[in-house]
Amino acid sequence: MDLINFWLENLPTMIDGLIVSLQVTGAALVVGIPLGLLLALGVQAKTKAVRFSSMAFVEIGRGAPALIMLQFAYFGLPQAGISLSSFAAAAVALAWTTSAYTSEIIRAGLEAVPHGQQEAAVAVGFTRIDALRFIIVPQGLRVAAPALLGFSILMLQATSLCFAIALPELLSQAYMIGTNTFQYLPILLFAGLLYASICVPATIAVSLLERSLSKHSA
Amino acid sequence: MDQLQHQNRVTFPGLDSDQGSVRGQVERKSSMANQTVKPKIVERDEIVRVSNLGKSFGTHKVLEGINLTVRSGEVLAIIGPSGSGKSTLLRCLNQLEPQTEGIITLAGITLDAAKPASKKQLNDLRRAAGMVFQSFNLFPHLTVLQNVSLPQQRVLGRTKADADTRSRALLERVGLANKADHYPVRCSGGQQQRIAIARALALDPKIMLFDEPTSALDPELGLEVLAVMKELAEAGMTMIVVTHEMHFAETVSNRVMIMADGRVLEEGPSASVMRDPQTERAKRFLQAVRNR
Ligand SMILES: Nc1ncnc2c1ncn2[C@@H]1O[C@H](COP(=O)(O)OP(=O)(O)OP(=O)(O)O)[C@@H](O)[C@H]1O
Ligand SMILES: [Mg+2]
Repeated sequence: MDLINFWLENLPTMIDGLIVSLQVTGAALVVGIPLGLLLALGVQAKTKAVRFSSMAFVEIGRGAPALIMLQFAYFGLPQAGISLSSFAAAAVALAWTTSAYTSEIIRAGLEAVPHGQQEAAVAVGFTRIDALRFIIVPQGLRVAAPALLGFSILMLQATSLCFAIALPELLSQAYMIGTNTFQYLPILLFAGLLYASICVPATIAVSLLERSLSKHSA
Repeated sequence: MDQLQHQNRVTFPGLDSDQGSVRGQVERKSSMANQTVKPKIVERDEIVRVSNLGKSFGTHKVLEGINLTVRSGEVLAIIGPSGSGKSTLLRCLNQLEPQTEGIITLAGITLDAAKPASKKQLNDLRRAAGMVFQSFNLFPHLTVLQNVSLPQQRVLGRTKADADTRSRALLERVGLANKADHYPVRCSGGQQQRIAIARALALDPKIMLFDEPTSALDPELGLEVLAVMKELAEAGMTMIVVTHEMHFAETVSNRVMIMADGRVLEEGPSASVMRDPQTERAKRFLQAVRNR
């Protein structure tokens, strides 16, 4: 009973934190996934400059741990004259990471589209761009959708790293309450439950999506 | 019955007077009622001319010294053993595979192996040649109607309303009006192939290329596809059909070409090639397929 009361007392602060976590995740995904699509096309581009810069961007994003990307954006960029709020820094860093990882997921999705689709698109006279836009990308994204959603869930969990750059997200809020009350275990448990309240339904949604997609494809 | 067939014929778009009309049809039309064309023999336009075509994949020579002419309204069947290069020849004709030697002229567009084709040439070529694949290759994320309509909108710039109207008419023609709003997975193989034919016809091609359109189908389902192709041939469409259907080659096509090892073994009027092949190799091939 004490535990429930303690949780209820701190619920508003925790919800504030959860909202910040969701906002950062949303920003990272909204910027990162379209960028990931562009990078997936970029690493296959015929133009060398486009291909190599896309590859470099992806390799940095995948090679550098998210925590380092966050610290770089928050502590490193100001030295280069660019000061970002902790929210903006988190969004930039996690969007970069997202784009790098999702570009690989999307590239695999595009490659899974049967070659006959590209041939049929060419044979009916579609331009390269139209073939991508109307035939290859929609099908590739469908293949990639479950993995993208799975990655999005990981991204929500990764926002807890923003703790390191003083962003008042869920884990930071929990930690702050813990410091004030010395009730670390109960509040961390509560934070875990709140993460789970989003992640578990989302995971179930992923498997439902997977099932309905496999039913629909040829 | 006769009236009905007549209607069937004239409603295939691209085969009629308004556009894409082909001179070779004059002879046929002249026999129909209410046509004001004088019944004189007209030299048919050449739709395809292939000269000394060769194709290699790396050092592997797949086609060599192919010569071929197809005139407007003709139906050419290409037969031959597996691996003889039939598909590759067809794919060269619409440049899914560029040839490595020789010259192709299709609907007035000339593609020389010595010069890379321009974008415009490739666009024109693919407009002129409709392709039907063995594996249908419908777009599974689009409805049947969208499969037929979208290329018209993007490639010919037709409005959606216009394209949809034409698509529905074509689907009606191939007997699938009721499937317009379904997804291709919900259609049988035979239905999917007929949709693929409608998709190609919707672009008013000058010639239709078929690569073993019935090979992936159960025999009964193959028949409904062959029926559509026969009707199309009777409506005057110029067609090149790679096939294993000897009956189709014998009865529907005017000419037959037998290929082996990347070369043309024999080529000529279907009746004579099928019944009286000249080369030993062709005789053996025809014997073998007939005994199957
Ligand atoms: N993309 C390719 N790369 C390398 N070799 C190829 C390629 N496409 C075809 N070939 C080869 O070219 C030859 C002719 O193939 P093709 O598919 O044209 O034969 P086909 O007459 O259509 O045979 P089938 O009746 O089995 O369809 C084969 O030896 C094949 O292995
Ligand atoms: Mg073949």
